[in-house]
Amino acid sequence: MTPEKVNYPVQSIAALFKATIIALVIAATVLVIAILPAEYNIDPTGLGKKVGLTELAPKQKAVVSKRESKKKTAGSFMSDRVEVVIPAGKGLEYKFHLLKGSPMLYSWNSMGIELYFDFHGEPDGDTTGYFESYTESTASEVKGSFKAPFDGSHGWYWENKTNGPASVVLSTQGQYKVIGLK
Amino acid sequence: MAAVWSRVCLVISLIVFSSSVTAHGVDDATRQFLQSIEGAAIAPFLYIGAKHMVTGYDHLLFLVGVIFFLYRPKDVLVYVTFFTIGHSLTLMLGVLNNIAVNPFIIDAIIGFSIVYKGFDNLGGFQRLFGFQPNTKVAVLIFGLFHGFGLATKLQEFKIPENGLLENLIAFNVGVELGQFMALIFILIALSIWRRQPSFLRFSMAVNTLLMSGGMMLVGYQLTGYLMS
Repeated sequence: MTPEKVNYPVQSIAALFKATIIALVIAATVLVIAILPAEYNIDPTGLGKKVGLTELAPKQKAVVSKRESKKKTAGSFMSDRVEVVIPAGKGLEYKFHLLKGSPMLYSWNSMGIELYFDFHGEPDGDTTGYFESYTESTASEVKGSFKAPFDGSHGWYWENKTNGPASVVLSTQGQYKVIGLK
Repeated sequence: MAAVWSRVCLVISLIVFSSSVTAHGVDDATRQFLQSIEGAAIAPFLYIGAKHMVTGYDHLLFLVGVIFFLYRPKDVLVYVTFFTIGHSLTLMLGVLNNIAVNPFIIDAIIGFSIVYKGFDNLGGFQRLFGFQPNTKVAVLIFGLFHGFGLATKLQEFKIPENGLLENLIAFNVGVELGQFMALIFILIALSIWRRQPSFLRFSMAVNTLLMSGGMMLVGYQLTGYLMS
């Protein structure tokens, strides 16, 4: 690399040191009193709670509920029945959280309206958008059983290509926790 | 009547669940859209790309740092081109090859790029090492990281393979449109300010604040990484 000429003021060591320290202090202060309480509910000063910033933190709640769902998923046997309405020309997802090896019996029926569907799962903690498809087809009624191949959210994506709304009644039994519409 | 109620329930549950889902960088309405598309949707992706850039303070702060001391339009063009080549490359390659990078780490590196540029603008490297690290290469390399950041925003949604390339190109073009619009505002503000005698006096303060902003982003993202 050829050395480049700098056409702007080069500060002294003392000024650079001062600028870096000031930048660090401002950053640390804003992080501790505002960003961390509001984003993650981390509130070392207690000020965030006092002024209501911690109310904003969504991730903490999500993390907690995920842990709860894991505990519940492992033990309880669930039985659910839900009706999902898919507007004309739209697609919707309904998901369940299952641990690896957890069983689920399922059946869904869209009263004769043919829907494109993708029964798939996404591993926990994955941020790459990876998912595994179990069944991908078009139908108005499907029954089956399923064993989760990994910890994660598993469920259906339905797409209604007709001109009217389609109603899907989904019945499930097994060891899972309902995540619901996504 | 039953259909009406189930629709009301659907809307309510959409609101409830969408607020509990934490989208990293893209809002819930956009997320809903991204998950329901099938095939090419050029205009929406153009818009999402442009909006992401115009509202993306991390990319904008870096650009402010890059063009802060660029007085000639030609230089602005050259540096912005290097940035564009960098981020377009990794945006396209990252999404098409499904390269998985941790969004928190990549956003922390983007924060670091702002700290680097702020320090550079104070003449920090010149003073500390006695030479200036090539600024064009730095913009290109940091551009690559910014592109990975853009890629992770899209990868969080399972965009159907069908129409992926068209949508990706539309998103990329949207990013450039947004960058162009934001640049116009930044350049106008900077060029007015440069005529004032206060510019050089405050350039130290501005670049210190730039570093500080970058450090906040690094702290914010690294905390997110540790908690995820």
